[in-house]
Amino acid sequence: MKHDISALMDGELFEDEADALLDKMKKNPQTKQEWQTYHLIGDALRQPDHVCKDISASFRERLQAEPTVFAPRRRVTQKARYFALSAAASVMALALVAWMSMQVATEPAPQIASVSQQNSVRPASFSSNSVNDYLMAHQEFSPSTDVQGPASYIHTVSER
Amino acid sequence: MYPSVKVLSFLLPLLCWHSVSADPQRRDDTDWLKTMAFAAHQTDYSGTFVYQDGVGGHVAVSRITHILDADGEHERLEGLNGARREIVSNNNQVWLYVDDRKIRIERRHGERTFPALLPEQISSLKENYLIKLAEEDRVAGFHVHAVIFQPKDNLRYTHKMWAHNESGLLLKAVVLDERARIIEQYAFTQLTLGGKVDRTWINPDKSFPPISNKDDVTPLAKLATDSKAADWQVDALPGGFKRIMEVCRPMRDKTRPVTHLVYSDGLAGISVFIEDLGGREDVNPGLSSQGAIQMYRRINGDKLITVVGEVPPRTVIQVAESVRYAGQ
Repeated sequence: MKHDISALMDGELFEDEADALLDKMKKNPQTKQEWQTYHLIGDALRQPDHVCKDISASFRERLQAEPTVFAPRRRVTQKARYFALSAAASVMALALVAWMSMQVATEPAPQIASVSQQNSVRPASFSSNSVNDYLMAHQEFSPSTDVQGPASYIHTVSER
Repeated sequence: MYPSVKVLSFLLPLLCWHSVSADPQRRDDTDWLKTMAFAAHQTDYSGTFVYQDGVGGHVAVSRITHILDADGEHERLEGLNGARREIVSNNNQVWLYVDDRKIRIERRHGERTFPALLPEQISSLKENYLIKLAEEDRVAGFHVHAVIFQPKDNLRYTHKMWAHNESGLLLKAVVLDERARIIEQYAFTQLTLGGKVDRTWINPDKSFPPISNKDDVTPLAKLATDSKAADWQVDALPGGFKRIMEVCRPMRDKTRPVTHLVYSDGLAGISVFIEDLGGREDVNPGLSSQGAIQMYRRINGDKLITVVGEVPPRTVIQVAESVRYAGQ
């Protein structure tokens, strides 16, 4: 159902499918909330500066729990082309897994180590000089400094 | 399309099998860490490396030089992106150039009585991590061996390190969370080893103004001689973390010294800073992070508690929440 609502919003449903879904939504008031939530998500993604300030904490939590919403794909007229794209995507995913297995993990079934798909809380990054003081003080004694040498100071030097 | 899928799914287990079966070493796996730490201090090298913060996707390129001579260790690290930032160090003195300011930081490095990797820490390393030798590879044209430190719980990160076969120098490192997502990584893209290193570059640039402001000097941390540091207890440290240092350190912009406790599990460090809040209102409690380093601050009565470590967010939060005063 959620998936259908999302598809409807993105204009990815055929006309008859959309009609059926709208009928269903009229009968079920709970779906109205979903509809609103998806619109809020859409708004938040488009204009994060304007929306975030007003939304409630509970919604923010929920947004963080949601899977990453990618830009919707334009509906293609021919279904065959759609399948071709899916197949291409599968090949890409497999290639990525294969590449990651070489790059990172030696486990037989490595997870796709994706940089962008982070649903967990993303904390603010360090900024002020006073924070740097704590960082420098920490690195003076941390064992990682011993192994990495001056490279461990990258956190202080790297410009955000 | 479909034949490619088949080929790849056939190749995938093959690739994994290959990397697992890579040349088994007869030496103790923890030796690699000792070798890397030794090489980091003893090797002359200079090069360029790329750093990526996996969480924000931020990429930084830096130039680095390390030289050991009769006067000791000299290092320079310069960020090549954005505003000018660099670190220049001569033994126990460090200069941080940031936002057109020059800050001098005193560190105990020269006189420090502990190499961070003591034998007891090496043994605690084995208790907390599964250490596996992985594939051989090439980084910046140099032959390397990969070692994986996989934690036995989810309160620390997985570290994968690629060490140069001959010198033991760390040439590439990746930090992963429990779902194998990259938290940060860096790798040399160009490297010069030994006598060919250009030594002129480590002399600090004269274009920065000299230190005129007393606030720009961080005084030397002193070993905690009073009982203050010992009175603080951290109840919820992850298993295997041991207190390796307690100092009472004056810090810049602080009127009173800060108690600094350092814990280590042999690979990751956790610092606990405890200071008087002193009526300050500019403190932002909560979590902040940069790559694999997390910082969590909380206010406890009239004290400000700051926890910094190369551990996941949940660990710094858990540690900070469990700090309590056990003295009279």
